[in-house]
Amino acid sequence: MALFTSILALRHDKRILRLPPYLSALCVIIGIGWLLVLPLDEYSRRTYISENAILPGQVHTYFGGSEHNVFRAYRHEVHGLIDKGVAERSERLSAIFHEQNLKVATQHYNYTVSNRTIANENVYAILQGPRADATEAIVLIGAWKNMADEVNNSGVALVLTLARYFKRWSLWSKDIIFLIPGDSTIGPQAWVDAYHDGHDERYVESLKIKSGALQAAVAVDYPAGPWGHRYDKLHVVYDGINGQLPNLDLFNTAVHISSSQMGVGSVIQRMWDHKDTYKDRLQTMLRGMLSQGLGHATGPHSSFIPYHVDAITLVTVGNGYHDEITLGKTLESLFRSLNNLLEHLHQSFFFYLLLQHKRFVSIGTYLPSAMLIAINFSITAMALWVKSGRSPEPIANPASTQPKNPAFKTPAEKQKDAKTAEEEDEKKEKKDAPPRPTTLIEKNGSQSIHPTASTQISERTLLTPLLLLLTAHTIGLLPLYTFNNWHAPALPALYITTANLTTLLPLIISFLLFWNFPTILTPHTLCLLQSFSLLLLGMFLAALATLNFSLSVIVGSVCVPLSFVRRTRHVGLTAAQMLGLALLNPCMVVQMGTKLLGVSLAQVLVQGAVGWHVWGLWTQVVVWLVWFPAWLVGAVVVASGMWE
Amino acid sequence: MAIDTRQAIDTRQAMDTRHKVLLFGAAAAVRLLLFTVFPALPDLLAGRVDVSTPVTSFKRLQEGVFLYTHNVSPYDGGVYHQAPLLLPLFSLLPNPAHAPLATNVFYTAVDLASAHALAQVADSGFASVTPWFASPRRHLRWSSAAIAAGFLFNPFTIATCLARSTSALTNLAILTAMAKASQGASFTFILAAAFAAYMAMHPILLFPPLTILLYHARTRNSKTTPSVSPFVISHTLGFCTAIAALLTGSAFLTRSWDFLSATYGVRLLLPDLTPNVGLWWYFFIEMFDSFRDFFLAVFWLHAASYMPGLTIRLHKQPLFVACTLTGVFAIFTPYPSIADAALYLSLVPMFRHLFPLMRYTFLASASILYTSFLGPAFYHLWIYAGSGNANFFYAITLVWSLGLSVILGDSLYAALRDELDVERPELRDKEVRRI
Amino acid sequence: MLSSLFFLLVNAWLVGAAASADYHERLLLRPLPQDTLLASFNFRSNESAAAFEQQNFGYFPRSFGQILQHAHAKELHLRFSVGRWDAENWGQRPWSGGREGGTGVELWAWLEADTEDEAFARWLKLTNALSGLFCASINFIDATKTIRPVMAFAPEGQHSNASRLHLLHGTLPHEVVCTENLTPFLKLLPCKGKAGISSLLSGHKLFDASFQTMAIDVRPTCEEGSATCALEMEQTVDMVLDLARAKRPKDDPIPRPLPIDQLECDTSKPYNAHDSCYPLNKGTQPAWTLEEVFGRPLKGACPLTGQTGDEADNLCINIPPERTVEVKTSGEVSESRLVADTLRCYKLPTGADVDLVLPEQKMATDLVRPKPGVFAARSINGHGQERGSIQAVISNPSTTEAVEIVYLESLPWFMKPYLHTLRARLDTTAESPIKETYYSPAVDRKRGTHLELRLRIPPASTLTLTYDFDKAILRYTEYPPDANRGFDVAPAVIRVLSPQARDHRGIYVRTTSLLLPLPTPDFSMPYNVIILTSTVMALGFGNIFNLLVRRFVAVDEVPITAAGGIKGRVLDKAYRLKALVLGG
Repeated sequence: MALFTSILALRHDKRILRLPPYLSALCVIIGIGWLLVLPLDEYSRRTYISENAILPGQVHTYFGGSEHNVFRAYRHEVHGLIDKGVAERSERLSAIFHEQNLKVATQHYNYTVSNRTIANENVYAILQGPRADATEAIVLIGAWKNMADEVNNSGVALVLTLARYFKRWSLWSKDIIFLIPGDSTIGPQAWVDAYHDGHDERYVESLKIKSGALQAAVAVDYPAGPWGHRYDKLHVVYDGINGQLPNLDLFNTAVHISSSQMGVGSVIQRMWDHKDTYKDRLQTMLRGMLSQGLGHATGPHSSFIPYHVDAITLVTVGNGYHDEITLGKTLESLFRSLNNLLEHLHQSFFFYLLLQHKRFVSIGTYLPSAMLIAINFSITAMALWVKSGRSPEPIANPASTQPKNPAFKTPAEKQKDAKTAEEEDEKKEKKDAPPRPTTLIEKNGSQSIHPTASTQISERTLLTPLLLLLTAHTIGLLPLYTFNNWHAPALPALYITTANLTTLLPLIISFLLFWNFPTILTPHTLCLLQSFSLLLLGMFLAALATLNFSLSVIVGSVCVPLSFVRRTRHVGLTAAQMLGLALLNPCMVVQMGTKLLGVSLAQVLVQGAVGWHVWGLWTQVVVWLVWFPAWLVGAVVVASGMWE
Repeated sequence: MAIDTRQAIDTRQAMDTRHKVLLFGAAAAVRLLLFTVFPALPDLLAGRVDVSTPVTSFKRLQEGVFLYTHNVSPYDGGVYHQAPLLLPLFSLLPNPAHAPLATNVFYTAVDLASAHALAQVADSGFASVTPWFASPRRHLRWSSAAIAAGFLFNPFTIATCLARSTSALTNLAILTAMAKASQGASFTFILAAAFAAYMAMHPILLFPPLTILLYHARTRNSKTTPSVSPFVISHTLGFCTAIAALLTGSAFLTRSWDFLSATYGVRLLLPDLTPNVGLWWYFFIEMFDSFRDFFLAVFWLHAASYMPGLTIRLHKQPLFVACTLTGVFAIFTPYPSIADAALYLSLVPMFRHLFPLMRYTFLASASILYTSFLGPAFYHLWIYAGSGNANFFYAITLVWSLGLSVILGDSLYAALRDELDVERPELRDKEVRRI
Repeated sequence: MLSSLFFLLVNAWLVGAAASADYHERLLLRPLPQDTLLASFNFRSNESAAAFEQQNFGYFPRSFGQILQHAHAKELHLRFSVGRWDAENWGQRPWSGGREGGTGVELWAWLEADTEDEAFARWLKLTNALSGLFCASINFIDATKTIRPVMAFAPEGQHSNASRLHLLHGTLPHEVVCTENLTPFLKLLPCKGKAGISSLLSGHKLFDASFQTMAIDVRPTCEEGSATCALEMEQTVDMVLDLARAKRPKDDPIPRPLPIDQLECDTSKPYNAHDSCYPLNKGTQPAWTLEEVFGRPLKGACPLTGQTGDEADNLCINIPPERTVEVKTSGEVSESRLVADTLRCYKLPTGADVDLVLPEQKMATDLVRPKPGVFAARSINGHGQERGSIQAVISNPSTTEAVEIVYLESLPWFMKPYLHTLRARLDTTAESPIKETYYSPAVDRKRGTHLELRLRIPPASTLTLTYDFDKAILRYTEYPPDANRGFDVAPAVIRVLSPQARDHRGIYVRTTSLLLPLPTPDFSMPYNVIILTSTVMALGFGNIFNLLVRRFVAVDEVPITAAGGIKGRVLDKAYRLKALVLGG
């Protein structure tokens, strides 16, 4: 309570009211600066294995010798299947598994995304562990096509060879599932969905045989042809769908085994030669954040992570002197370690940013940056709220049915009263209004809200900003739907149109409102509107920071200007602000982003649609229902200054 | 004074009737629309721990009804902990799995009835004016329509209704009891209060303040003050008989007294530790077995201790006491849900005249708002993503309870300050301190 | 089809062999597909009821018999099992499942008692005694793991006073069966694993098997007509050995890659070369000998077995006639071929080692592999630690006759099923297959769920059984040390009622056990939680009561009494109390 009273005392201070803009600016600066110091040794830690049972690299690996001949044979077999049809391919692969006395099954999947049909087949075999009772299983994945759409020739062959080799061991305490999905991102998703019965029977076939609860999954990507290819390093890919990450112990185990036991260097986030300088660390971290923020599938493992199955992909990169047997030994050692697990991986971190393969930052250290950025919006929202409350018209305290006479009040008291008045409106709002946008989001903003609101608080001016805010968020649904369901070829065109439209939209809206209902766009209303919008934005970003830190930071930092733009009568200033906002239009930002990353826009859009329909990707929702509405409101507020 | 307020009320009602019709229509529309447009939504919400608890969950109710209709005692098992009278009631409705409409309409009607009762309470004006007390700020008030709207369009209320949690029925009973008490209708008041207590046990604490309210209402209606002791005794007796009747009826219905331990026993002893927005579950998960019973007793004592204190100190404003008690229920009972919070937060606006005196509203409401976002997120991290642990959700429940209790304390402060202004008008708008 | 007919004959013959001699043992070997070998050991000893009452034990083990008498157990069945039977490849289960248990330990017994409580008390006695005898944690079968099945089990013996008998059933799915359970098991045998077929049983091989189950069954048998009753004790060990793994020498169990020259390659492959070798799939029956597979020689017959009649044949192998079997022994062995030559039995000599040698051979006819009557698989659907749903898929392969089964689920209390979500769907017809339901719901910390369904599956159709359940969250003291692994859920027991079983053992199928991950609290937090929660409550309580008991005055008129001084404070308090009572 003492704390509260001190805050109370602060509130009486006039200077406090001039503070917020500086305060939020400070938050943003600290938030960004925070990220920049993370790579320093003082703020990051060396990785370590916290699950005692894993014992990485403690076993002697026997894979090799004549297995190498078998591997070469399988590699030829796989190579022979490259230009065969899907049916023949899976038939042959199942035959090979069958010769190894494993239980084999296939799964067909057939999605239709943005009017393209994606059909393929997964082949998987189950090795029933001699000491297992069908309660736990670990998965070894060799996707037929890797992320670069090359045939994963040696990878699949290695999976086949390891299946034959593992079958001879007596010590497996878990079932081992050998999965050969038709492609790298959609096949695994179909399989893991069906495994947990979360699939849609219309597109994905149910699994014929199942094993126990999945404990971990390791994918191998080794697209070397029938004559082999000696690689230099292992690229460990760990990002999951929607930016979820696997348990750090799994990653550490893989890195430890490959580097310490097998002497194969490991890299992350495509930083092929990592000098461990500050710059490299920062770059790695930023790449990691970007790929986490986008939340797309980065390998066959990605689809497993949302099901709380820790998974990674090992990709061979570069030209060196390591061969398939080293990779095989790495996998053998890794699986022996996973076989030791008594419990589901839970000891180590699930929230981390990796700076290099042996250094990381844990959530406690990096979360404040996102939170600070989110909080800056809340601060501005409060400031605007107070501002709106202090506007001269009696509207300021609309709630009271009769204006109270401030005759016998000391100035301080007046202020206090005004403030309390603001708060009471706010309180009322807190009770029915601001949560409504959330309900709105839950209900995909069914228009039915409008009559309710109109009847609800008919005599209150807070209604208008809330309605406007509501509409802004509802508008977001439109692009969300169209982009996820439009025909693939037409997507870029659609995108350009949307970009232009959205850029002009604020002007149009404000103009229409201004000419048709000049009463609506009072400074007071706009102020409240911006306040609510920023309040929501801050809240969403704070919640998002715990789910997908990177996305929250990215969206937050591109939204920062929204908390500084204001409605002015000064035309030049308005124009400048409009220009700035036009550049920060989500569409613009995305487009520029694709330019910078050098990926084709069409590709991104199609991937987005696939993500929405297959992976359950949420990035679009954040873009169109959180970021876009906030931007729109900000732009409208600024644009309304033009029509004075 | 009573008269002019009444006139004021009459005029306002005349003004409000149109609003009310519109309002109720809209509320019903929203609910039914949500029910029909998103058929998956009800079950989704019914599965959320913060909406439906083990003692109010609709899924468990369905299980109970299923067992009841198949002649298995629902109370000979660990799933069903709700009142026996619900069983025949819901076995009459068609199976919601196939024909949900009847159930949806029923729950919508329940919400509308609650809103109506709330409006009646607001209309009675007891929030600011009682025969023994009249707030100097009594002119500050919202129309009953606005208050009813605050209840009907509170997302928490809507979520509760969609989740078809039985706490909606409890809320209805409580609000009806308040309404009847504020109208001075003894019989219906006793019935409603008894039903509330029978449904959820802890509303029994509302009986004393509401009896006082009833007394005030009687006094106001018939300008004579009825003598206290016979009034109290008769109503207490009536209340006890009503509850006894309900219990015996239930026993007759289920042909055994097992339901006592399976319903009230569970509320008392907390065998089911399913997470909820309250403070009890994690505490008793982590509690050492040897101290479990002791702390159960302490917690219950604590939850009950507010009633006498508030009733004695604020006996001039019984409605405020009752409202505050609902807030206490929302924080300190073993199985609270957002339904209880919804009830409290919808009652508070009746005390519009206290708002100018409240100090931490922004803090509290902001914290509640944030928690209502972060709660689901953290629960997801714990249960589904597996990347967070139980402490995440626990922390959020702490903040939630803290926010509610701050509102509680602040409103109480305001009420006392308000009373002070009546006792010593010279102190009005002066800094005061407590000794 | 033909082969399965043979198999039935084999069964009939084996059962018919149950005569009144005192002790018999037999080992039946049956090669299975995928280079595996099923070995079922069967030891049977009888004791006349009278002798048993007088504690005059012959072949019947004393320690065990006294436990039975102490607990008034009239019939008892105890199972230790590891691994799972792969019905799709291996076909019909040994003893058609009648001597098989679910993963871990399974125990059910008919106890003589007047009341349920007495029966349960005796049950506890029994479990504690048995856990001591078999070095297994059977004593953990408490009230929450005990059920009283209604339809799923029928007594195998003839009981005189069935009215006073109580059937209790308990399982320990998480129990890891290992050699410490095998040793006491062998100790119960008359020849104690020193001679006879039991000399083959060694922990190394038994627990390296892909599937193994040890069973002890005690039942009273009465000859029809005559009043002489006997107590029959049957010990069974069934194991499926992976020949490749089993033949590995004991001194070098590590499956090193074969030397290149020993690797048999498929030379027909175009790419076949010195460095690439596609492993040859010869499609032959692998060569094996008893000694290789079991890692120790078969030390003749147990001298206590009956020496005459088909009873004396203690070693049988169930293979097509064309397969060559060579018997190596210093003593003399008489071979007898039965059941259209698909079954060869040998009368073992006493005191002389015996070995069977089967060479590698390409076969024209396939193995003796009968079709099972019912296929069953069970799995948990959904993810997350809040709720899920169980899905059991039971299919009836027979194209002609329907099967009628009893499906028994015994679930732990912290797994809360919703019976109103139970759905049983047939892929062929729309009519409900559920004929009868018995359900006793769980009570927290007192009793587990017990669900029994009588189902009828039409010919060539598949039944899908699903129901939802919630996962309870427990007190932190109730979690095991490996809390994040999850809890094991006992296998479902499926009893086939029709077609009728040919012997008293009945036809059973058991699904695999399931892993149920529960939400876990933070185990390191009790003090923090207690402190934090109490703080929040104290804040609320303190704030409110602080307001309630204090009195407002203007800043300038704070009474002097309140300023300080014990007296002042006391006075002040008194005044405040007065004010409170009188409604200040």
